[in-house]
Amino acid sequence: MTKRILLGTVATALVIAAAYANFFIAPTERTMGVIQRIFYFHAATAWAGEMVFFVCFVGNLLYVWKREQKYDWLGVTCAEVGIACISIVLITGPIWAKPVWGIYWTWDARLTSTFVLWLLYISYLLLRTLIEEPGRRALLSALFGIFAFLDVPLVFFSIRWWRTQHPAPVVMGGQGSGLDPTMSKVFFFNVLVMHVFCAFLIVERYIVEKLRHDVDLLQREAEVQ
Amino acid sequence: MSLLSNTSALLGKELRTEFRSRELLTTTSVFILIVLVLFSFATNPGTEEARQFAPGLLWLAILFASSLMFQSCFLREQVNDTLSSLRLAVSDPFAIFLAKLIANTLFLLLTEALMLPFFAIFYNITLWSQLPILWLVLLLGSAGIAVAGTAISAISAQARMRELLLPLLLLPLLTPILVVSATVTGGLLDRDPVVQWKGIAFLAVFDVVFLTALWIFGQYFLEE
Amino acid sequence: MKNLDSVFAAYVIGWGIFFVFFLSIVRRTATLRSEVDRLKNQLPKAR
Repeated sequence: MTKRILLGTVATALVIAAAYANFFIAPTERTMGVIQRIFYFHAATAWAGEMVFFVCFVGNLLYVWKREQKYDWLGVTCAEVGIACISIVLITGPIWAKPVWGIYWTWDARLTSTFVLWLLYISYLLLRTLIEEPGRRALLSALFGIFAFLDVPLVFFSIRWWRTQHPAPVVMGGQGSGLDPTMSKVFFFNVLVMHVFCAFLIVERYIVEKLRHDVDLLQREAEVQ
Repeated sequence: MSLLSNTSALLGKELRTEFRSRELLTTTSVFILIVLVLFSFATNPGTEEARQFAPGLLWLAILFASSLMFQSCFLREQVNDTLSSLRLAVSDPFAIFLAKLIANTLFLLLTEALMLPFFAIFYNITLWSQLPILWLVLLLGSAGIAVAGTAISAISAQARMRELLLPLLLLPLLTPILVVSATVTGGLLDRDPVVQWKGIAFLAVFDVVFLTALWIFGQYFLEE
Repeated sequence: MKNLDSVFAAYVIGWGIFFVFFLSIVRRTATLRSEVDRLKNQLPKAR
């Protein structure tokens, strides 16, 4: 319990520190102005979200191999946290884009594959609600999760190589090359902070699965008696 | 090789079952035709712009049709629990998948063959000159759809609301096929046709990736 | 400073989503914990 409280406190402190850094330490960007400060939060959340989905993928693989419940719990936990992250990415992106590019959305490789990623893991969660038996649910959703994760790089490259690049704005990543050193430090600090915060969310959400399992066990014990 | 003999035996069964009644082929063909007609109402097929959208619409129609076609793939094995018998009959469960996905690819290709003339007429497109390469693209694209579709069919057959679930799971997975097939087909059907070999290679890569994944994990889809 | 409201909107909405998600976790945890306690209390009585 104390470890959880420690993690929660550290995560909150880091988040506040990052917010301070984003607004008061990072210099204002020359061309875009203040709006560019969304970048630190947006891109860091995107990186953390993708890492979370990778952990989900690993959990799925481990479940199919070892069939231990804890890997199924890890999978669904990471899927939910990942979807929260990617939803934020998909919302903050257009908020940044409209003033800067004049458009909310464009179908370039990164945005499209992020959106498809989001759709795939929503489907993953939906699939889980439609299978009652826990063992089957765990196995089939793990298998779908594996296929979904394998698909994402294919989506990314298919759009990158075969969708005409309109004079489309280079998305956030383009700034990576030649980013001001202070901005770079602030950005990577944000990346660290978002990873820690997501770890905190994963721990808390995982406990929900464990508790659900405890309730099931107790209910079955009660029925036996 | 027992995988080969198991697969060919099962493939024979799949083909015989379908050609006895031909219900899947006929309904899917009619469905693609209806979708193409609806697209024609929604757009304006005569114009130059419509010709640009035509390859994308063709592949969309194929995708929608396939999400209907694959419904019965594993459902029909649940009716008399023939799946258990199949599992016992083969040494490698992958044979079941291989047979079904080859059959599904063939069925898709057959429906596409029936639809191409209508497509050419509606959208005023000449196909003859590029026909061999076009068939290669159709083959690789349909194979990709069939591999993913067969796997997802095995999943959705074991869940509730399977009619809605299958397209929900399948269509996002098939985005790369849609994008690349439509673009390559568009290049082929252009006034100055161009063959995009990189795209054709990409389709092959997609097929190999998912086929390999199905080979590794297939047995788990069919567990009791 | 123009666009400052967009910046704030992005941060508020973003953290808002995380906050709502966290609240849903807390709520689910509380419900499940009370359920566990309820069931645990039931068991000795049955014995």
